[in-house]
Amino acid sequence: MKKKALGNIYTALIFIFLYMPIAVLILYSFNASNSTSTFDGFSLKWYKELFSDSATLNALKNTLLLAILSALISTIIGTMAAYGINKMKNKYVKGSTMSVTKIPMMNPEIVTGISMMLLFVFVGVMIGGKASLGFGTVLIAHITFNLPYVILSVLPKFKQMDKSLPEAALDLGCTPFQSFFKVELPQIMPGIISGLIMAFTLSLDDFVISYFTIGSGFETLPIRIYSMTKKRVTPDMYALSTLIFVSILVLLVVSNLVSDKNREKMSKKAKKITKYVVGGLFATIAIITLIVFIVSAGTKTVTLNVYNWGEYISDGSEDTYDSNSAFEEYYEKLHYEKYGEKIKVQVNYTTYASNEDLYAKLKSGASGYDVIIPSDYMIERLKADGLIQPLNLNNIPNYENIEEQFRNPFYDNDPDAKYSAMYTYGIIGIIYNKDKMDPADLEKIENGEAGWELLWDEKYAGQILQFNNARDAFGTAMYALGIDVNNATEAEWKLAFEKLKAQKPLVQSYVMDEIYNKMESGEATLAAYYAGDCLSMIANNESLGFFYPKNEEGKYVTNIFADAMCIPTGAQNKELAEAYIDFMLSEEYEAARANAEYIYYASPNKEVINNPDYIDYLEDDYDLIYDPDFGNIVIVEDENGNPVETTYIEYMFSKYAYRDMSDENRAILNSLWEELKVDSTSFGGGIYIICAVIIVGLVAFFVYKYIQIRQRRKLYWNNPVKPKQTFEFTSTMAKISVPKELRAKDDENQK
Amino acid sequence: MNKKSLLQKAAAAPHMVWAVLFIIAPLLFVVYYAFTDKDGNFTFSNIGELFQASYLEIFLRSLCFAFLATVICLIIAYPIAYFMTKASPKTQKILIMLVMLPQWLNFLIRTYSWMALLEDTGIINSLLGSIGIDPVHMINTSGAVILGMVYNYLPYMIIPLHSVMSKIDPRLLEAASDLGSSPFKVITGVVVPLSMSGVISGVTMVFVPSISTFYISQKLGGGNFDLIGDTIERQFQTAYNYNLGAAMSLVLMIIIMVSMAIMNKYSGEDDGGVVV
Amino acid sequence: MNEKKIIELKGVAKSFDGETILDNIDLDVHEKEFMTLLGPSGCGKTTTLRIIAGFVTPDSGEVMFDGVRINDLPPYKRSVNTVFQKYALFPHLNVYENIAFALRLKKVSEEEIYERVEEMLTMVNLKGFEKRDVNLLSGGQQQRVAIARALINKPRVLLLDEPLGALDLKLRKDMQNELKNIQRKTGITFIYVTHDQEEALSMSDTVVVMANGKIQQIGTPTDIYNEPENAFVADFIGESNIVDGVMLDDYKAKFSGHEFECLDKGFEKNEPVDVVIRPEDVDVVDVEKGMLCGVVDSVTFKGVHYEIIVTINNFKWMIQSTDYVAPSQKIGLYIEPDAIHIMKKSEYSNMFGDYSSFSDELEKLSDVTEEEE
Repeated sequence: MKKKALGNIYTALIFIFLYMPIAVLILYSFNASNSTSTFDGFSLKWYKELFSDSATLNALKNTLLLAILSALISTIIGTMAAYGINKMKNKYVKGSTMSVTKIPMMNPEIVTGISMMLLFVFVGVMIGGKASLGFGTVLIAHITFNLPYVILSVLPKFKQMDKSLPEAALDLGCTPFQSFFKVELPQIMPGIISGLIMAFTLSLDDFVISYFTIGSGFETLPIRIYSMTKKRVTPDMYALSTLIFVSILVLLVVSNLVSDKNREKMSKKAKKITKYVVGGLFATIAIITLIVFIVSAGTKTVTLNVYNWGEYISDGSEDTYDSNSAFEEYYEKLHYEKYGEKIKVQVNYTTYASNEDLYAKLKSGASGYDVIIPSDYMIERLKADGLIQPLNLNNIPNYENIEEQFRNPFYDNDPDAKYSAMYTYGIIGIIYNKDKMDPADLEKIENGEAGWELLWDEKYAGQILQFNNARDAFGTAMYALGIDVNNATEAEWKLAFEKLKAQKPLVQSYVMDEIYNKMESGEATLAAYYAGDCLSMIANNESLGFFYPKNEEGKYVTNIFADAMCIPTGAQNKELAEAYIDFMLSEEYEAARANAEYIYYASPNKEVINNPDYIDYLEDDYDLIYDPDFGNIVIVEDENGNPVETTYIEYMFSKYAYRDMSDENRAILNSLWEELKVDSTSFGGGIYIICAVIIVGLVAFFVYKYIQIRQRRKLYWNNPVKPKQTFEFTSTMAKISVPKELRAKDDENQK
Repeated sequence: MNKKSLLQKAAAAPHMVWAVLFIIAPLLFVVYYAFTDKDGNFTFSNIGELFQASYLEIFLRSLCFAFLATVICLIIAYPIAYFMTKASPKTQKILIMLVMLPQWLNFLIRTYSWMALLEDTGIINSLLGSIGIDPVHMINTSGAVILGMVYNYLPYMIIPLHSVMSKIDPRLLEAASDLGSSPFKVITGVVVPLSMSGVISGVTMVFVPSISTFYISQKLGGGNFDLIGDTIERQFQTAYNYNLGAAMSLVLMIIIMVSMAIMNKYSGEDDGGVVV
Repeated sequence: MNEKKIIELKGVAKSFDGETILDNIDLDVHEKEFMTLLGPSGCGKTTTLRIIAGFVTPDSGEVMFDGVRINDLPPYKRSVNTVFQKYALFPHLNVYENIAFALRLKKVSEEEIYERVEEMLTMVNLKGFEKRDVNLLSGGQQQRVAIARALINKPRVLLLDEPLGALDLKLRKDMQNELKNIQRKTGITFIYVTHDQEEALSMSDTVVVMANGKIQQIGTPTDIYNEPENAFVADFIGESNIVDGVMLDDYKAKFSGHEFECLDKGFEKNEPVDVVIRPEDVDVVDVEKGMLCGVVDSVTFKGVHYEIIVTINNFKWMIQSTDYVAPSQKIGLYIEPDAIHIMKKSEYSNMFGDYSSFSDELEKLSDVTEEEE
């Protein structure tokens, strides 16, 4: 009994372990604030939020559609395949078919994902398609990894089936066709259903394979969650998970109750009714899906694929202005007024975490995006690679709203062709947690004496965050060392690398948008990050502070960057994309101001920065974002060495903004970055020792067992020595049962 | 008869075409990219690059993490699978359901919620703090990464173990006990050898995703413990170096194949039955 | 026979889910005895065996071994071994290792293990099978391995749970002889569970007939056959005609409208009783010479004899005779006094009908089909 109690306690502990994160998730779905680390009271607002979060709902719809389609198709192909494989007579054909079938099951998901991506990208480039990745490719990928599961659940049913069953059916007068549907199919039905359900759930939950094979304009729920976890998961995602969890729980409980209690008692009629109800339910789902398809096919839908940084637009969360849906409405109306035709505009808005991610996506030729918002140096590179196209400014009248000084930035200063319209600009600063900083350092910051060296201060070991992208991380080291980020020699790159390597033991983690959560929760103390994001964090946690690092002369030494809207080559709907850009610059529709207020980055839009409401809204932050010094006139030397007047901000752009690099430098940067990332100074050897001990233990155990078995077998395995053939059971039995000393006596007696 | 066998052959045809197009061809592309450079010329340099000390360490580290996660899963799952077989069939059904239920929630969000638990200012530490224990640093450690692997893949160990154990004839256990085995000896002498096939499929189902994961190490390891998966992901999503990524994937596949071969060789027969 | 009791069950009771399986069983097993627990399925015989083995703990009552209470002793500490129904051989071990299993646990030296395993293999005629995979053996061979495995531990008592149930008829007969031989040679007490009455009668020293969780009768095979204690035993063991009768006086019984002389006494006057007459004890004679007479319903040739169904006063008798009689023929029946066995009325009286055309089993089958309709 005691043992049983122990077992129960153990089982309970494991279940607590399994359900702890889920409990957390459910708890925080009722949190009154958007924090996922402190609970600030009960509220249902995230559930409300969820149902107004069109992007999440859309992702949910996509996920379901993908799961249903891929499950159905893979079930059909898989069932047929199982039938065929079962009938195969050639052992080798059968064996190799099965081995190939099992590959997606045995292979790591990431390998399946990238292998399909390589295929799609390669074929896409070959046939010259603009967007080779999309719904179709994810669907193919899902069917591919569903197939083995379907086949392996149907095949045994075929094998178990009595071979004489179909023969009996034929004997009784069925045609082969009837025999299949009336006799064989009902026999394998349980296998088909479990295969279907398994395929459905696998597809529903898949992230890794979708992640590599998905293209623009199509986002599944796991992908959306992934891009959210890069920054911060809003609790409405928790709310959705809670709803999913509860509905599955209810479904399972109900189905269990029905199957356990009632099935026995149920009369045949009731059984039939349940059958019809369940069948009807499935049919209804199928029909609804179909109707959704047909309806959406009815009105002409125009889609616009926008690819932007995470949380870089006012998205309607928490009652803010929803720029994308405002644009949809605006354009539908505009189009109707212009052409008298009703259309539906759908903005597919997806996000990336770094310029390099964006580049990899575009370069693969697999994208199909219409509007992207890269940073300055990336625009240079995209332009050089021919990946973006000039804008038709006639379609963007609000371009005029951009301040004069930002219309000819260094990355796009060709007077004949404009490739970009500046969205925001910003500066990299250092964000810190006042509560955790040394007072002496705080004072330095107050006095404007603090610089990059704070990020190398051993006092803050384990509290520092560093960029998880090569360009910005090396930037911090180069600014700290006073190296020119755009004209560094190879030796200087190495120097910066050594600097970063020295920092690595102090770094808590390498992050991009994960910084939000880590700074706001107080998990980390110090980090360099983009100004607007820093101000967003400060708005959520008042103990955070922020400054721009300066050199001894009191001049800012830090990166300044601009992000601008561009249209990739091969955009499907350039006119719509231009309308979108125009809309985002407009004063009339509030999009520009709403975005600026939402993201806290500096706007180049004169209608915004002079808007009194906006100035009111930002309060003290206004001077941080639009440092009054930026407007100062400074004297710099032009290329001929002559002094010229320029604004301080233009001077910053020319001196500290990143420029596109040469291929050699990029190769240096990438390989140094790889080296830094894979280098593991912070990683103790303990794990290796534990592993080694376990492996040595296992090997020793198996060797011992092996020797033991050999020893045992020695006696009887080969040429067993003939034992006494005569059978004297009782006497030997007696001999063995008595102790040795007695046995000796016994023997004597017998003599 | 001829017509019928033709029909039977045709039934498997769509799948076979599909398999060639979307299983074999993609793998050939992995091989192709692994042995070519950016311009499509044949080269060994991608594979050669992997023999740098830093990449070797990544492979070793991934192997270690995945190995430990697998061992821990096995140690945790074995007793619970065994206890479960002792329950009534109805309770067993419910327990299985409870084991699988968390898997219905997206693993990304479950892992993310572990972050909230493990952080220095997270839930566990604030609970510890409220009973006067100093906070324990848990997140961004190798332990946290292994915990994430164990958490996510534990059900894949429990389920096959349980399904194999529940098929063991209870009379075999009685027979062992009858012949003089203490309860412990019953387990080591009969249950363990007879559940070997479950151990193998469980180990496979935990080891393979553990060694190739990238999300768990990113979230719970803070990007400090790059694993093979992270490195591959970076080549494809950020660094735009498909060739190096393909080479790593190829090596990853080989590592897994070798590991599985070793395991299958030294643990007797195996029908490779993966139970889901 | 050795009088020393080795196992005693005292007032043992067991129920599962409120259903009584064993109802106050008292049973003594003596040393070197071959005891058979006989009864239909569900009678509690296997549960009795499992209680002795230690797999089942009784709800009440005592299990004594050598006079010591062993209710709470786990199976692995009892010097009792079991041959399981369908053998329960360890599929991961070969023949040699299966047999050596018990000795390995006792850390016996390899040489001794070898010696004893070989001895066992010789005993069960399986020499040369050491390396064989047990899953590839035939039923009879598996059976022998199971016996060897259980015996190598030299148990005081060997429990056999329907060990021959899965074998075909010919093999079963051979194994019966072999088992009996082994028991005689080893002198180990055997407790044998079966539902096959022929097996029980031919092998055992003592037969225990069980039904509904109760012991109906304990005795030697001859006693059980010739002197059944109640209608259940009479019906279960062999073929019998069980008729209602009245005991007129000592040595005088009346049934089927005729007074008979018999060898039984000690009943009250005019006490209603059950009368058992075995089919082979009835002689067919001419109508005039018969004590009873009736019309032949049917005749079936059985090889050694004819099986004749005769209707007397609406009761169908079964008679086995070497002489042929024709159906519809009127015949007389003659019954010797020693062929008549008188039993007290019991709960089983009137439960067993005459030899009408349907057997019980067929009736049950038709019930099921009705339910399913």
